[in-house]
Amino acid sequence: MNVLITGASGGLGRAFAICCAQRGCNLLLTDIEENGLYAIQNGLKRQFDGNILIKRCDMTIDKDVRELMDYANQQNFKLDMLLNVAGIDYEGGFMQRDFLQISEILSVNVEATLRITHHALKLRRPEGRFYVVFVSSLASLYPIPLKATYAASKRFLLDFSLALGQELKSKNVFVLSLCPGGLCTTQDSLRGIEAQGFWGSMTTNRIEKVVHQTINRSLRGKRIYIPGMFNRALGLISRFVPAFIIAKLLYERWSKAQKQWLVLND
Amino acid sequence: MNTIVVTGATSGIGFAVSREMLNKGYRLIGTGRSIQSCDKAAKLLAEEFPEADLIFFPANLMHLTQVTYLAEEINAYLAQNCEGRLFALINNAGCVCSHYTTSEDGYEQQFSLNYLSAFLLTYHLFPSLIKGNGRILITSSNSHKMMKMHWKDIMYQRRYNPLMVYKQSKLCNLLFAHALNRRLSGCPVRAYGIDPGLVNTDIGLKNNSRLTRLVWSVRRKKGVSPEVPAKIYARVCGQKHAPDGFYYAVHGETAFSRQVNDENAERLFALSERLCGISYDRMFEGAGL
Ligand SMILES: NC(=O)c1ccc[n+]([C@@H]2O[C@H](COP(=O)([O-])OP(=O)(O)OC[C@H]3O[C@@H](n4cnc5c(N)ncnc54)[C@H](OP(=O)(O)O)[C@@H]3O)[C@@H](O)[C@H]2O)c1
Repeated sequence: MNVLITGASGGLGRAFAICCAQRGCNLLLTDIEENGLYAIQNGLKRQFDGNILIKRCDMTIDKDVRELMDYANQQNFKLDMLLNVAGIDYEGGFMQRDFLQISEILSVNVEATLRITHHALKLRRPEGRFYVVFVSSLASLYPIPLKATYAASKRFLLDFSLALGQELKSKNVFVLSLCPGGLCTTQDSLRGIEAQGFWGSMTTNRIEKVVHQTINRSLRGKRIYIPGMFNRALGLISRFVPAFIIAKLLYERWSKAQKQWLVLND
Repeated sequence: MNTIVVTGATSGIGFAVSREMLNKGYRLIGTGRSIQSCDKAAKLLAEEFPEADLIFFPANLMHLTQVTYLAEEINAYLAQNCEGRLFALINNAGCVCSHYTTSEDGYEQQFSLNYLSAFLLTYHLFPSLIKGNGRILITSSNSHKMMKMHWKDIMYQRRYNPLMVYKQSKLCNLLFAHALNRRLSGCPVRAYGIDPGLVNTDIGLKNNSRLTRLVWSVRRKKGVSPEVPAKIYARVCGQKHAPDGFYYAVHGETAFSRQVNDENAERLFALSERLCGISYDRMFEGAGL
């Protein structure tokens, strides 16, 4: 199987890459950070047999994405799976952030992700199945004050993926959204999770398990994967409690967590 | 003046070893994870030992490229200031991680920092160690006992267990020292494992989950102060002729697990060479061994 992974220099992207390589897949890894790509390429080649290709790409630039696809074409790398891992967030409320940062969140999480998906779908194997995974977030299930743009961008991906999956079902394309809680991908993310206290530890998922299950579920044609019982229960609540009440509760929780986060990062 | 390298010299055992060795008159090359922690440690040591010759190099040893880069800096420094001679390499940097996370190379972090970084750093500094008739000391731990190599999934990618991963990394340290010594018969360079005992340091409190921090904050109270194990390193380095033993603790030579055998050692050595993209044998040939 040939898999394209975006955000492959990051913690979650690497974990996906390892999981796929372990299953014998060939990989095309991309990220904006080139040195990280070389490092993970070496690490994977030294552990596994599959073909590991890398190509730097700023997904927000159309030319870069075209070049990425040209490269895949040259290498005769027809796709069976696309893992949309790349995504960003900036801490802080809407008015505390520069608008450039706000628009960057939208540009990477939404526009660039759709751009690469659109291109990748054209590069899929003509016969056979094609799997797309969007890394959304537990945050996509609610309106989250102080993380409003991020949560809404992930909500976009969730709704979009459900619709796209239906649209392309007859074409043998299977679309899954992964909605994880906290993931410890770097030591910084661990600090962020710690800042949320009890809620942080309850919603945190084991990364090695999440990536494995995500691939399994995608291959089985599932549409949504919320890892962890506790997170699934939270997901259920969001269906019964009015959104404005959830927003009020979450505001209280996030303002506490952010204060804590600022203290920890001082 | 003999020169030593101590990794993870900015806190805990490594810092205490650095003090002890400066006190004994060695020239110190310390390493730490950030510029800030290196500056802080260098300042403290320079205040205590104003005459001392010491320098710190920052590098995050979790990532192989940074290990290689650090080795180049150290080798250049040794060539300029110490006639290329290194008397002791103390591989001590280590961490505890409560979650599965990977280095830039996609290697599990405890395996990568606690063990693989030492494997690669030793490789790069080996020519300098040969010139200095040097010794390699590796901070292992009693926790390597009651542990077997988890060969079928050495980086615990399927089901992570922080304690097992830590214990395995400390077993790897001894297997590495064992495999090195097998290759070094007839060469003055020798490798040793050190068991510092239970030591009261911050190791389990850094970037760890609440549970890990809680467990360690209780457990470490029973530990000795880092000055105690520092004496072991000084003793192994202080003897004129490289001592014959293999694994040292505070009271002297000490027992190690039966898992430290040729078969495990060679299997790990071959795997580590592949993971680092190096060949010790080729390097030995180049060095005329
Ligand atoms: N404490 C014990 O009871 C005990 C028992 C047996 C064996 N050991 C072993 O002793 C060694 C030292 O541990 P310790 O207890 O002294 O812990 P420590 O106080 O945390 O010291 C660890 C050292 O390693 C450095 N380090 C951590 N992560 C690093 C990275 N990614 N790159 C470069 N350097 C890094 C630390 O730098 P910072 O100062 O920046 O954190 C520090 O200088 C470890 O190998 C440990 O496994 C400890």
